Amino acid sequence: MTNAQPTPITTPPNRKPKIGGMARKEERSFYLFILPWIIGFLLFDAGAIIASFGISFTNWSALSAPAYVGTLNYSRLIADSVFYKAMGNSLYYGLGSVGLGTIVSFLLALLLNQNVWGMSLFRTIFYLPSVVSGIAVAILWIMILHQDFGLINSFLAWFGIKGPGWLVQPQWAMPSLILMSLWSAGGSMVIYLAGLQSVPTHLYEAAEIDGADTFQKFWTVTVPMMSPVILYNLIVGFIASIQGFVTVYVMTNGGPANATLVYGLYIYRTAFINFQMGYASALAWVLLVVIILITVVQFTVARYWVYYEGDLKS
Amino acid sequence: MGKHEEALAQELQRKGFSRRDVLRIGLRLGLGAASMGMLLAACGQTVSEPAKDAGGDAAAEPASESIFDITAGDTGAWPKSAVAEPGDKIEISVGHTWDAVFFERQLQFDKLFMQRHPNITVKAENTPWGEYRQKYTAAAAGNAMPDILYTQFSWAQETIRSGLYIALDDYIAKEKDFNLADFTKPSLVSYQYDGKLWGIPYDEGPGNLYYNKELFDAAGEAYPDDSWDLEKLKAVAIKLTKGEGPNKIFGLGELPSPGDSLMAPNYLFPFGAQYLSEPKEDECLINKPDAVTAMEWWEELRTKGAIPSPADLQNVAWPSFQFGKIAMTLQGSWATPPIQAGSKFKWDIAKWPKGPKAHTTFSAGSAYMITRDSKQTDAAWLYMNEYLSTAGQTYMWASTGRGSPSRLSAWPAYLGSKFAPAGAKNVEEAMSQGIGTHDILDQPTGPRVTQAAGPIWDLVVAGQKSVKDALDEIFAAVDPIIAENRK
Repeated sequence: MTNAQPTPITTPPNRKPKIGGMARKEERSFYLFILPWIIGFLLFDAGAIIASFGISFTNWSALSAPAYVGTLNYSRLIADSVFYKAMGNSLYYGLGSVGLGTIVSFLLALLLNQNVWGMSLFRTIFYLPSVVSGIAVAILWIMILHQDFGLINSFLAWFGIKGPGWLVQPQWAMPSLILMSLWSAGGSMVIYLAGLQSVPTHLYEAAEIDGADTFQKFWTVTVPMMSPVILYNLIVGFIASIQGFVTVYVMTNGGPANATLVYGLYIYRTAFINFQMGYASALAWVLLVVIILITVVQFTVARYWVYYEGDLKS
Repeated sequence: MGKHEEALAQELQRKGFSRRDVLRIGLRLGLGAASMGMLLAACGQTVSEPAKDAGGDAAAEPASESIFDITAGDTGAWPKSAVAEPGDKIEISVGHTWDAVFFERQLQFDKLFMQRHPNITVKAENTPWGEYRQKYTAAAAGNAMPDILYTQFSWAQETIRSGLYIALDDYIAKEKDFNLADFTKPSLVSYQYDGKLWGIPYDEGPGNLYYNKELFDAAGEAYPDDSWDLEKLKAVAIKLTKGEGPNKIFGLGELPSPGDSLMAPNYLFPFGAQYLSEPKEDECLINKPDAVTAMEWWEELRTKGAIPSPADLQNVAWPSFQFGKIAMTLQGSWATPPIQAGSKFKWDIAKWPKGPKAHTTFSAGSAYMITRDSKQTDAAWLYMNEYLSTAGQTYMWASTGRGSPSRLSAWPAYLGSKFAPAGAKNVEEAMSQGIGTHDILDQPTGPRVTQAAGPIWDLVVAGQKSVKDALDEIFAAVDPIIAENRK
């Protein structure tokens, strides 16, 4: 009898391991399912995206032939005070709406994760506002935020507080829109709810055995287990909010005093009111770079607070 | 009644909506004057609807959806063009942006035109106002514009200089009865460039003083007339302002803002001041002493509470005059149909009062142009020649009450129509006496100027900046923009 060690089975480097028939079939199905989106993207989006990059190096009104101007649009952007105002407003809105929205929708999800009678009805009620169309919501909130007769100021008046001119005073206009964004917290709430229901119960049991109280269970089990979902909502929510346009366009049109002039509205005005497609394209590409940078930062920082089940933390 | 209005009216009735709610809903839906009248009538309100002509057509044609009789306003005096009719059947497309009710009138015109020109098929494209510019900017980029396109004064110069249209002088020269002198002088200004005419205006209306007669009667105040000046306007506005809260009555509906391209003729010229130098708009004069004095003079109305605040304006849909809370308002004559349909009180029109140095009001309008993409320019000209003739303007804008035709010869038809308010003569006189001026911001830099100036002025409205500081800041913001007009 020899003491020879069994030869380990290794796959040569740089070669995909062979997959069986079932896996190959699944891989084919995967590509088939994403094919419609890819075709749509290639046909309708990719060309426009690439074209806009080229247009950003031109002076083009869309009404006549473009004229190549090199990086003039990008250097103009650096000196454009309205660019900084619009970007600042969008970042303000993004941070405010996503930050507040995350807290509110997470707390809502916690509440709606209880086993009480009528819970389906409550979940539906909280989710419904997020499916109402943007313009209808905007008009509704114009009335809710009215300085004299709106619901919010009427409520504050019960406590002797004179509410501000929410949409008409420059310092309150953006906070009004951030407050309004909570209306659609139901969308994220549903995602958090799904996440909460997949937290393994044995972790709570183990925590109870260790003597954890409610808050400790929340902080040491719920939040870490939900951290990937929170990260997802933060990234997706921020990308969506920084591109916000419809609500602002309907409610304030960027006013008063450019207090709510968001980046998307600035791009729209530059392109379709001022007929400056080249500059608008440059603005759009700068927005893309900013979003990518912020997303990279989010992913980088996520290493320190996002926990995936099975991870070992040092 | 149109089937859409009828369905909406039934739904609103069933839900027990109040008159105020109906008006608000209708305005937010962008319904035209006649649609609003139908809605309110169906919800149990009394609205003066345009009476049908006596002896209406009894032919067995299917009933048109339009509230206008197809033959009403057809004088039959259509011009005979020197341009030949097409020998083969061809199609031309026309880009419009009418409300749903008036588009039916458009289709009536097109039907009659096609009867007179059997080889020409007219395809009318009607696009909502909010989408119009995006749609046709994209069409221009794709060289796919219709043969004829509606163009508003505010973007006319930009699009003309971009080469979107063909000059019409050669066509006009061929016609022996086109008569450019028939057009009011201000109406042609926005469509002229480089010594040529690129569009034919269909309307050009002055800013008028609309006033609520019942509020004047209640205050024992005489109605505005030609003896009024701006001091009188200001004094009466303050006098008519009364009350607090949701029932407050405001003496005047609006104040000047440098964010408004139409501001200067009404609020600055009467005091000898200017916004930008006209016509080249290459010098900003808004922070000169006379302009500062004029703007401060107007702001006194705000400090006296005679003007709705931005928060007040949130309470009602625009325009708010027809809700009966505003005694006087400056509006273009195109505001007459919705005011007619929506107001439940007696009202009339007066000329904008004179100032110490001049008697002026803005005038503005829109036109139709033949685009560079047209493959049927002759047929397009045949259409434009009739559409914008005296007969065409009478048919489309005079007989239907839209008002302000650009041709002086079409005005008698409007003044004599059942839709014209009692003071309509003031509108015509404002144009014929030179009170209406087209010295408004209509250069390509106009939108950028108002976008830069408006937010700064918002701080004055919010009480966070003085008039002088704001105007100095506006000068600093606007001057670099208009530098390109100096080239």
